[in-house]
Amino acid sequence: MQRNFARNYDSLSAIYEFAEGILAQHDVTEAVRFPVHLAIEELFTNMVKYNPDSDGGIGVDVEVDNGKVTVVLTEFDVDEFDVTRPREVNIEAALDERTPGGLGLYLLQNMVDKLEYDYRDRRSRVEFTKESGQEHV
Amino acid sequence: MFEIDYGSDGEVLYRGRLDAAQCAKAQSFMDEIAEARTLDFSKLEYISSAGLGILLKTQKRLAESGAALRIINVNNHIHDVFRYSGFDTIFDIEAKK
Repeated sequence: MQRNFARNYDSLSAIYEFAEGILAQHDVTEAVRFPVHLAIEELFTNMVKYNPDSDGGIGVDVEVDNGKVTVVLTEFDVDEFDVTRPREVNIEAALDERTPGGLGLYLLQNMVDKLEYDYRDRRSRVEFTKESGQEHV
Repeated sequence: MFEIDYGSDGEVLYRGRLDAAQCAKAQSFMDEIAEARTLDFSKLEYISSAGLGILLKTQKRLAESGAALRIINVNNHIHDVFRYSGFDTIFDIEAKK
């Protein structure tokens, strides 16, 4: 199921409700739902941040098939920004060496199973999947 | 929905979902903290990198005066986020029992 959302952070609540409704309908476990919501937010806010002047909204498509969640975010008339490019983050850095920011895509890349980026004709398309999460008891 | 307030013992109670849209509210509250505090995450369901940034900024500011944040009752999923980001090494964290 796909829906278009306005390009601003205020859309996050509506996006969560949209995705959560689909995930709950398919009985997706919390261990998968949490990283899916996190990945959607990190991608969406990244799109808002790096293409703030685009007039169009951002499409979010969430599908579930046999417990495997596939999410696609699409935006048009934007500059290229490859979210699959490895991010250099030193997670062992001491407090005084750290600066806020830059963690979002690193977290995303470590918490989803597959992440793909496609850019053509000024259209950005990001797809990720998440199937198995670490089950907590 | 996200709420932040003081508890009866001076701890800071986080409740709901701390996403990028709620960061101004959280940042405004945390900017007023000037001494060591315990953050109670027992009712916090979710945090993204935007929320982590607020915690980091506050921790760095408090460190200048030798103080620090302590975070308690962290659920397993949020604990995973802390672990992936290495925040478990720069915060005193207590998992949810």
